[in-house]
Amino acid sequence: MSDLLRAPAELKYAEELDWLESVDDNPKPFSWRLSPKMIRLFVLGAERSDGLEREIAQKWFGDRSIVERAIVTLASDRGLLLIGDPGTGKSWLAELLAAAISRNSTQVVQGTAGTTEDHIKYSWNVSMVIAKGQSRESMIPSPIMNAMESGTIGRFEELTRSTSDVQDALISILSEKYISVPELDHDNIVFAKPGFSVIATANSRDRGVNDLSSALKRRFNFVRIPVVTNKKSEAEIVRFRTEELLRRHQIELDVPPTLLDVLLRSFADLRAASAAAGSDDEKLESALSTAEQIGVLEDAILHSNFFGSRELTARTLGSSLVGSLSRRAPEDLAIMNKYLHGVVEPRGKDEGGLWPEFLAGGRDTIATLS
Amino acid sequence: MSFESLRTQLNEAATAFSDGPGALEGILLGMVDDVDRAVREPLEIFPVCHHSPASAVAMARRLRDKQPKVIYLELCEDMAPLLTELRNCRLPVAVQAFSSEVDGFPADWAPLSVVAPITEASAEYQAIAYALDTPGVELVLVDRSSDHVFQWQPPETKASAEDALHGDAVGVEIGDLRPRFAELEEHLLHHGKVRHWSEWWHQYVELPLGDSDHDTYRQVMFLIGSLFRRLAPGDPHRVRVDEDRERYMWTRMREHLAASGADPAECLYVCGAFHAASRVAEFGVEGTDGFVISPRSATKWQHGLIPSSHAAIEAQFGLAPGSVSIAATEWAKNLKRTKVKPFQLAGQAGGKKARKQPALPGPVAEPTTADQLSGFLQRPPVLDRLDEAELLGWSVEIVRAARRNGYLASTADAIAVFETSILLAGMRDRARPTPYDFQDAAVTCIEKDVVPGRRDVRRLVEIMMGGDRIGQVGYDALPPLARDVHDRLAPLNLKLQQRGVQRALLDITSQPELEACSNLLWMLRYLLPHASARPIMGERKLGERPIQESWDLALGTHQRSLIELGYEGVSVEQVVEQRLRRSAYDPQATTATVLEAVEDAIRYLHSPRLAGELGTRALEVLSGERTVDGAPEVLKRSRRLLAYYRTNEPVLPQWIESFVRTGYAHYCTLLPTAFTEEEAGVDQVAAMLGFLFSMESLALSLGCDRTQLELAVAQSHPEEPSKVALLWAAQVHLGRLSRAELRARCDELLSNPLSLPSYPRYLSGFVHALDPVPSLVDFVVETMSNAFAHLPDPLLLPWLPSLISTLRSRGAQFVPLLVKEAGRLFPGRLPALDEWVPPWLDEPAPVAVRTRTGQGLALLAAHPETCDAVAALLGCEGSWQAAPGGVALLNRYPDTAVALEALMS
Repeated sequence: MSDLLRAPAELKYAEELDWLESVDDNPKPFSWRLSPKMIRLFVLGAERSDGLEREIAQKWFGDRSIVERAIVTLASDRGLLLIGDPGTGKSWLAELLAAAISRNSTQVVQGTAGTTEDHIKYSWNVSMVIAKGQSRESMIPSPIMNAMESGTIGRFEELTRSTSDVQDALISILSEKYISVPELDHDNIVFAKPGFSVIATANSRDRGVNDLSSALKRRFNFVRIPVVTNKKSEAEIVRFRTEELLRRHQIELDVPPTLLDVLLRSFADLRAASAAAGSDDEKLESALSTAEQIGVLEDAILHSNFFGSRELTARTLGSSLVGSLSRRAPEDLAIMNKYLHGVVEPRGKDEGGLWPEFLAGGRDTIATLS
Repeated sequence: MSFESLRTQLNEAATAFSDGPGALEGILLGMVDDVDRAVREPLEIFPVCHHSPASAVAMARRLRDKQPKVIYLELCEDMAPLLTELRNCRLPVAVQAFSSEVDGFPADWAPLSVVAPITEASAEYQAIAYALDTPGVELVLVDRSSDHVFQWQPPETKASAEDALHGDAVGVEIGDLRPRFAELEEHLLHHGKVRHWSEWWHQYVELPLGDSDHDTYRQVMFLIGSLFRRLAPGDPHRVRVDEDRERYMWTRMREHLAASGADPAECLYVCGAFHAASRVAEFGVEGTDGFVISPRSATKWQHGLIPSSHAAIEAQFGLAPGSVSIAATEWAKNLKRTKVKPFQLAGQAGGKKARKQPALPGPVAEPTTADQLSGFLQRPPVLDRLDEAELLGWSVEIVRAARRNGYLASTADAIAVFETSILLAGMRDRARPTPYDFQDAAVTCIEKDVVPGRRDVRRLVEIMMGGDRIGQVGYDALPPLARDVHDRLAPLNLKLQQRGVQRALLDITSQPELEACSNLLWMLRYLLPHASARPIMGERKLGERPIQESWDLALGTHQRSLIELGYEGVSVEQVVEQRLRRSAYDPQATTATVLEAVEDAIRYLHSPRLAGELGTRALEVLSGERTVDGAPEVLKRSRRLLAYYRTNEPVLPQWIESFVRTGYAHYCTLLPTAFTEEEAGVDQVAAMLGFLFSMESLALSLGCDRTQLELAVAQSHPEEPSKVALLWAAQVHLGRLSRAELRARCDELLSNPLSLPSYPRYLSGFVHALDPVPSLVDFVVETMSNAFAHLPDPLLLPWLPSLISTLRSRGAQFVPLLVKEAGRLFPGRLPALDEWVPPWLDEPAPVAVRTRTGQGLALLAAHPETCDAVAALLGCEGSWQAAPGGVALLNRYPDTAVALEALMS
């Protein structure tokens, strides 16, 4: 096991990427390390029919055309903006793409209300400026500038969280593909090398916080990532992420398929309820995304590993479902209460199985929280 | 010809891929057997796939080469007579078999409907056009009849969209070819790197087959049919139906061959590739004759053409949105490229100007068929070359369309779309971007976070690629009823055949001939979905004549409903009459619904005969009714009808007189039970009383007896407060209770703390009593004021909502009455309120105490001059008389007068 808490994709899958690169004989655009088809294979996994000698696991679960459109966008001269609800795997896809294309997914700018133009262009090492004056040595390039210089992929997380002046700084980077440094007398322009592009992510729930200007929109291709509602692929994602999680925490614990089914069905019910709700008070604050689902399972696993009998039970799952999803004190609790008594209780009577235990766990937590 | 080499190769392949020859070998070699068998069949089988331009092109080419004398087509045999009408229609249209009177099927299946949509870019249209326009060629439909469709397969109930062009009909299609189980389809899509079935077909069958010769086309199609059949037979019931259909078709073909003596070599059998790979014993000209075709049920089938559309076809047969449109575009392009001359029915509406079709050159000599499959299967897939000009055209076009729809798209986007399409196609292993690749590229480059207009980029691409085309049934192909409707609406001077809403203005006073149109429109309004004919101004009430009307008409958009109406009768009047009769003679019909039918008969048909007949039916229903649920409705309608007859007819019709007489007796009988029963609400009882009181004079004149009513009221002993109030009101009306007594009873209720809580319910009874006894209105105002004055808030406030809802539901009648009365009783200005005493509290001014007559009289007699002067001034003449002596007596002995007064008052 690596000594990193969470290794970036290019390290985690380094061996796989090396192998893919060695067998890749398709044309590669710019300085890409892999061809578009291989990138697709890397992200979506390979099958026997692809004729590869080894197995490539699927790493991102979703529609193939989304991945294809994303890769093709990066090969064109526009940036890629992945937009979608929280927890739909935007950042993960961005990381995988950056890792596959340029073996570096860490050139990331995190968009926040405090992000300034310096974060995406460059800043100065003040003490060095005092000692030696302004020069290329005393300049601190931003991750984006690094990406330009090396012709790789730069990432911008949560683009819509940053203010519009910061967003506007991206416009010239994306269209002119250089950053000028007016403070220097010579060597004052940093040009982007071929292969440079930007993958940004934006949260569709944050729309309206800092809307993108149409000039910036024009320089990005938008790829919308939908919430996974297909039960089969959702189960796949949850299993995949949980296994990874268990490995990371070195926990040996079994997630029984019936329990996974309980989790998936309860989320499906809650989503249906949210879709049918009339006002915000009637729906959970949570977006009920797949990531949220994984969060609930993770919580349950950790709890039963450290405090429980080292065995995942429906009771613990019920309790962490309520615990994770109840964010607003009266409203969310009321919805969960309604759900447990209106849906889970009758189902427990009809179907039996793990549902009664799940109900008991949820009920206890509601009693504790309210 | 033999497929030996192919067999050997496949055998080797099977051994290589699986561990030994086994199931796989069975499937692979079985497929070759199927192809072999179909190719050897003396009656030429032409396999097709629906909405496949390649099939259509191959068909057109084959028809020119072979020029068969008989064409057998896989289409319901009962639809044959309609096909020549296709030339009057703009395609796509659907051939429909429709039945509303089912006999032999469960009644709840009705109405039964089967549709077979026909598009221009289809092989079947080529066959039909060739057969119908070439002299000496016979077209024989051989598939099971519409009746058998339901005999073999009960209809699935599925919710259909309101505006779906096909309604909830069962769709039948020629050449249904699609994997029968989901996994296979998923597998094919996944490995074909395509998103849906239509795209797969386009990419892997359509393109490679595009320019292939007849033999290759046929053998490949046989192979695909056989592949799907052997790999995935799917639902056993469906397989049985398919096999029965094949038996049916071959049996019919053999029958026809025997009867007409045609040479099988001169015939062509057009069927889906799936059916060409059939293994039933009846297959082939030499097949066994064991299949017995079951007789049709007694259901009466009507046939017609209804408009269809690409979107409707896609929805009905589960195809991807846009796929039929894309197929149509491909067809047009293929024609241009391959220079194949398509067949078209002479005079086809919406088609190109029909040139005089030159006589076909003679058939081409048959080359011997050879194994084309081995070569085809070994060749790498044909890659379509990049058609740069076409892609550029698309890119520019989509950007323009996007701009028109509110997107901020520019030339830069056109470049990006062009580039992305090529990159995407490259990722998907093709040189030339398919329309679907292009669609993906356009969405990637142009679609941002919000859709500015009504349509998103995906939809815009669909529209650009051909868009939805909606067919239209031409005038000549319409059923008589629909033609009649169009003829009769001709004075409106509107193009009603066209789709879309059109406004019709009818000024009937200046153009009296338009009244007939107005009548027809009202009938259509009654019969058709409401969007097809919607009155904007004007209404039709009993006995009113139209003056000016305006209508929104969309008969072209709702052509299907009009055509289906045509299956029910030959004229609109007839259909209305049938519908009215049906609703009146329905076993569930109530008096109210029958009376409604009577009203409709007068309003729409102006037919006293039908109204009389339905009225008699109403009478029957009324005398059989044991509940009073419909009483309010019956009262409303019978009042309206009475008013109509009184004003429009010299004498009342027999039926309504009987109706009033029977109704009077009927409601009198039911009154005591209705008063006590819990089921009968205060509404119903009030309506009964209303009927009894308001029709009383008519009923009495017709020989009813008032004692019956009095007895009925005397027998009524309600307990529910609101009904008690109603009873009191009835008693007041009948003179058995005076106002003073009624007031005393109400005051008692108010003063008794135990009965106080039920006071509001009494009050609502009084409100309801306004209908039968409108003269009580001042009393109702009084009780209501009392309620507001005396009821404590905890009682008053909860009651207010129910008062408001009562007034609201019955408001139209009562509120104006109550407001008027209240306006009369209450002071109109604020200052007056202080001194205002409610009239009911204002004790009647004590009878004037007779005072001695004033002294003035004596004075007047003593000094008459003043009076004379005034009289002269006013111009009065007269003379003085001595005062009668009686007055003096009266003054002296007032007791007599007082005693007399007491006696008289």
